[in-house]
Amino acid sequence: MNDNQLMEDVRDGRVEKLAILFERHHVALFNFFLRLTGNRPLSEDLVQDVFTRILKYRTTYQGEDRFAVWMYKIARNAHIDHLRKRKETVPLDEQFEEAPSAELAPDERVAKEQESALLAKALSRLSPKKQEILVLSRFQDLKYREIAELLDCPIGTVKGLVHRAIAELGDIYAKLSNEVCRHEV
Amino acid sequence: MKCDNIRERFPDYLTGEMETKAKAEFDAHIASCAACGEELRKLGEIWTKLGVLPAEQPSPALRDRFYTMLEAYKNGLEAEQVRTERKPKFSFMLRQSWLRRPAFQFAAAGLLVVAGLAGGYGLSHAGGRVSRLTQEVESMRRTMAVSLLQQPSSSERLRGVSYTSQLKEPGRSTLEALLQTLDNDPNVNVRLAAADALYLFASYPEVKEGLIRSLAKQESPLVQSAVIDLLVVSREQRAVEALKALVGVEKTQPEIKKKAELGIQQLSF
Repeated sequence: MNDNQLMEDVRDGRVEKLAILFERHHVALFNFFLRLTGNRPLSEDLVQDVFTRILKYRTTYQGEDRFAVWMYKIARNAHIDHLRKRKETVPLDEQFEEAPSAELAPDERVAKEQESALLAKALSRLSPKKQEILVLSRFQDLKYREIAELLDCPIGTVKGLVHRAIAELGDIYAKLSNEVCRHEV
Repeated sequence: MKCDNIRERFPDYLTGEMETKAKAEFDAHIASCAACGEELRKLGEIWTKLGVLPAEQPSPALRDRFYTMLEAYKNGLEAEQVRTERKPKFSFMLRQSWLRRPAFQFAAAGLLVVAGLAGGYGLSHAGGRVSRLTQEVESMRRTMAVSLLQQPSSSERLRGVSYTSQLKEPGRSTLEALLQTLDNDPNVNVRLAAADALYLFASYPEVKEGLIRSLAKQESPLVQSAVIDLLVVSREQRAVEALKALVGVEKTQPEIKKKAELGIQQLSF
């Protein structure tokens, strides 16, 4: 059974089928949130929130979109609601938790880990919008057309944003790498 | 083609969303334009680098929370359905003032009897729903157990095995998954746990068949011992041949040979 058929069953009251959708998507969703927030417990809470919302809004599912697009719409809303709540107490600049410090350890075995820590840090310095669009296009297996549908904007806007986001990420990454090199010297 | 047009297509190039004809034009431009080529190289480098970000696994607690939430939702949904179907008849009738008039006393009494019967019918229906709910929860557990048995982490697979022990009717897919775990799981503890879980289902013909086949594949004495126990419990006569074969294998450890011989005696009574 494909995702859309399963979700139609959930919509029509056979809610136990959600277990299969959970098994198929929860790890990807967890990584989506983890790349946006850098925070594991929070990402798990948000995944739980998404599936709770799917049950709450199950009767509104139309089955026109691919299920994943509908699910990521819900995921975005869950994330945005979380950011709104945080906004009340945390200044805008500090809303995103940075990845762990990327200071280089001498051991070469950890070079890859350091590279990914540096990348995660660079990613966290992009604006939320660019971060989100980059994660959706690079990791979540969604086409630009689907992302445009998800964000409710023209496909050209999505591609333009992806282009600018990668260019900016490259600049930030290069800058962070230089800082680390200077620190080492 | 102008550089601006080419740059608009960089995102398509990165994700591979480009048609063959457009790709040929694109490649030709990149080969002849140093500026576009350099920009694409930089973008491609960081795009590829993003691939080093590992896909993380959430903690097992997430799965538990989800299934608890789903069961609670399902219970609530069923209870709500039962309530809404039983409630309106009574509340509607009791609000009608004409029912209180003496002229309708007998009719009201009759209606109460009917309502009582309807209530009883509703309750018996509710019983049916509860049993359907139990079946659905059981089906959910089966899905979860099979899914856990396929996880890369051995602790998750162990949890999958323990989930199967909560099943009243394991179903073919769960039994197949358990037998496959017993045969192929790289972790000996998981294989042992699978053997223990199969104890509950040792009377199923497919389990008996699976255990006989499995005995020849096992190399760990611990698992061999557990499978022999299971075969003896299942009282499966055909297992005698498998046990004899095990005794005949040179590398089988002496204590296992002894156990297999004892098993052959027990099954031959």
